[in-house]
Amino acid sequence: MYQYDTIDKEFLADRAAEFKQQVERRLAGEITEDQFKMLRLRNGLYLQLHAYMLRVAIPYGSLNATQLRKLADIGRRYDKGYGHFTTRTNLQFHWIKLREAPAILEELATVDLHAIQTSGNCIRNVTSDPYAGATAEEIDDPRVWSEAIRQWSMLHPEFSHLPRKFKFAVTAAPKDRTAARVHDIGLVVRRARDGTMGFEVIVGGGMGRTPYVGPTIKEFLPANRLFSYLDATLRVYNRHGRRDNAYKARIKILVAALGAEEFRRQVEEEWEKVGPGADMPDTEIARIRAAFSVKAFDTLVNRSEAFETAKAADPAFARFARNNLKPHKRPGYTIVEISLKGIGDTPGDATSDQMDAVADLGERYGQNDIRITHEQNLVLPHVKLDDAHAVFQGLAAAGLATPNINLISDIIACPGLDYCALANARAIPIAQDIAHRFADQDRAELVGELKIKISGCINACGHHHVGHIGILGVDKKGEEFYQLTLGGSGAEDAEVGKMLGPALPADRVTDAIDTIVEVYLRERADGERFLDTFRRTGVAPFKEAVYAEAH
Amino acid sequence: MPKLIRIEDGQFVSADDPFTHVADDEGMPPGDVIISLTRFSAEGDALISQGRAVGVRIEPDEEVEALAYDLPKLAVVAVAFPKYRDGRGFSTSHLLRQRFGFKGEVRAVGEVLREEANFLTRCGCDSFETADGSSPEQWAHAANRHRHVYQRASDGRIPAFTERAES
Amino acid sequence: MKALTANRLDDGEVVFWNKGAWVERFADAELFADDATGEAAEGQGKSQPNTVIDVYLIDLIESEGLWAPLSFRERIRALGPLNHPTHGKQAEGGAAIEALRHAAGASRSTGRVNLIKRK
Ligand code: HEM
Ligand code: SF4
Repeated sequence: MYQYDTIDKEFLADRAAEFKQQVERRLAGEITEDQFKMLRLRNGLYLQLHAYMLRVAIPYGSLNATQLRKLADIGRRYDKGYGHFTTRTNLQFHWIKLREAPAILEELATVDLHAIQTSGNCIRNVTSDPYAGATAEEIDDPRVWSEAIRQWSMLHPEFSHLPRKFKFAVTAAPKDRTAARVHDIGLVVRRARDGTMGFEVIVGGGMGRTPYVGPTIKEFLPANRLFSYLDATLRVYNRHGRRDNAYKARIKILVAALGAEEFRRQVEEEWEKVGPGADMPDTEIARIRAAFSVKAFDTLVNRSEAFETAKAADPAFARFARNNLKPHKRPGYTIVEISLKGIGDTPGDATSDQMDAVADLGERYGQNDIRITHEQNLVLPHVKLDDAHAVFQGLAAAGLATPNINLISDIIACPGLDYCALANARAIPIAQDIAHRFADQDRAELVGELKIKISGCINACGHHHVGHIGILGVDKKGEEFYQLTLGGSGAEDAEVGKMLGPALPADRVTDAIDTIVEVYLRERADGERFLDTFRRTGVAPFKEAVYAEAH
Repeated sequence: MPKLIRIEDGQFVSADDPFTHVADDEGMPPGDVIISLTRFSAEGDALISQGRAVGVRIEPDEEVEALAYDLPKLAVVAVAFPKYRDGRGFSTSHLLRQRFGFKGEVRAVGEVLREEANFLTRCGCDSFETADGSSPEQWAHAANRHRHVYQRASDGRIPAFTERAES
Repeated sequence: MKALTANRLDDGEVVFWNKGAWVERFADAELFADDATGEAAEGQGKSQPNTVIDVYLIDLIESEGLWAPLSFRERIRALGPLNHPTHGKQAEGGAAIEALRHAAGASRSTGRVNLIKRK
């Protein structure tokens, strides 16, 4: 893993010291709330319904045990013993006191963590593949580029006052676990026929009020020209993106207004002028690359007797293995997904004790490498099959062994009206209710891969537009209602979901999901996922069934 | 004479401002002036030929490219930040320095706050008409708060990747 | 009936106005029967920008013989996040909290008086 050097560490320390002074000035009444608000937002500190919320960046979703323990410790000492992992692979603390925020940032800096650019109209934390460095599918390690982008974007002189926030995703595998096509910029590593490495550059995807799957602006950008191209793209956006209306200010609106062709032309024209002088030196990329490539894998055989024996003896482990273990590139290793979607729990929440437990397991069995997924789960990317049962037992003891990855109860939900000042409706109880309905694991497995994503308002922090089933909370004459969409996807086959019909009251949502699942089970052909069936049949049979029962 | 904050020999100092901002509908006073791009297109050459120093104010929605050929004649380019949030001026200053090699004064005007000192100086601004009554000491403090920077920029600070390569 | 609410600058805690002081429990909030007294309090509240932020009046309804915020959003502010019944003000329990829990009414923006006015 990349280790912060003195430069990175001093940068974070300076930033924490700066914020400390700003908070002092505010508490002493030397600056107004208007002036202070942007300063606290630049450090990820929001005012939510009940208290301040601190959003800590987890760069490209990668942590070591020390860092996760520190997050647990902060949760315990400054919050109520928990934290919330988000779809942007950040961690939010929901009960923060302004006067304590500087101390928290100082403590985070001691373990190379920060909250810089987790809010505001700047380049935000980069999303990357949680299986990076562990999956055989990838053609490069996307963390190398993610870390380079992190550095390039930190207090970027020119691009820290963009028209609106700006989110990157970087992946290098054909199976997209980053939602690259619904980010402001999605970078997909590609290899040309002659072996040179480059990126497919997707620009102008996004969710919110106007969801778009981003068009590919460049089929193949040579990897060593990445930063000049980003300069050109961001400059076109910074100069020409709309600033008159916050809802129309994202780059997706500019790309859509100009058309992908014209946007590409403008970027290419600017890129010519920028030239290679703006690229990051190869030596720096090589330095970062070296930091990620040191991994001590043992030479093992594919089959682990211990693993097979444990599966045969322990049906709960066999189920966990079926759903939560994913293939690793090395023989005898596996990727362990840890669900933060226990039945009836708040999606994405982890208690401090749970964070400690994962840190311990990651340290002991997982090469001290822990990842966060945009689906609000955790991952131990490098576990020996021989150790998988021990990891499972450790997780089970911490209440973290729910075997439901990618299943119907593995639901994304934003904090919604329980916490969020912008919400129209709650998201959490809807997720809990659906999870309870599908608590029967046999049935959930029978249904198979089905991604439900819930947002408490149109901002779409819960990715509802790209849920196989999306649920959007709306405020209808003062009551919580939920609008369902079907057929969305945030993966490589990205698509925005289609509206099912009129919004439903809260107490009808779970029944509607049940009905949709029944229609799918009735209609599905061999081997079809929900999404495949939906794409074949269209919305009609689902709509008919859900609204027929309404009367 | 009104004051502004200026970077001189790497130091933030309070300096006299000899320039008068003249709006498009105002009469032309004597002495050094800063005028709009529109007015400069019409009257710029005549004013310069009178032997006075002339500056041009670039609004966020104006393209600095329009000034490219006139830059050598200009004493000041005033980059307008009507709201501190409006970041187009950062691109304008960057292009002035990096693409057009402008060596004169690049002045930040508008809602110019000390909290923006770091971004402004890095993009090549070297004088500041502040909107928050801040002092040169406060600007120096805000601009130099970080011991390291990650990007090449117009202030010539050594980016992290160069620091590393040299260490 | 109305009440005046805000978040405390120092820690973000939800607070309510009571005769010149800020209190933490909705049950202790001063209730304004007429607009004029509410607005006067709002003016006073807003003149303390270094004590509280985001000061606004909220509409109330009757619930179980007690007053409760009309909007669900404001009831959640007066209770705490409903997914964690032991977090926030609701942890204390009692009749006043129960009345808030059982109140029904508008879900979000309509509770915030000055938002209605703006429409
Ligand atoms: C204080 C709480 C939050 C606020 C104020 C907030 C605000 C917003 C807003 C205004 C947007 C729409 C942006 C636009 O369309 O221009 C948005 C989008 C988004 N937010 Fe949040 N959000 C919050 C919490 C979260 C949480 C908890 C998550 C993760 C679970 C999250 C992740 C996202 C994502 C993924 C998007 C959609 C992608 C995009 O279009 O950017 N946010 N948020
Ligand atoms: S989607 Fe809406 S309710 Fe949910 S976190 Fe985002 S802003 Fe809040």
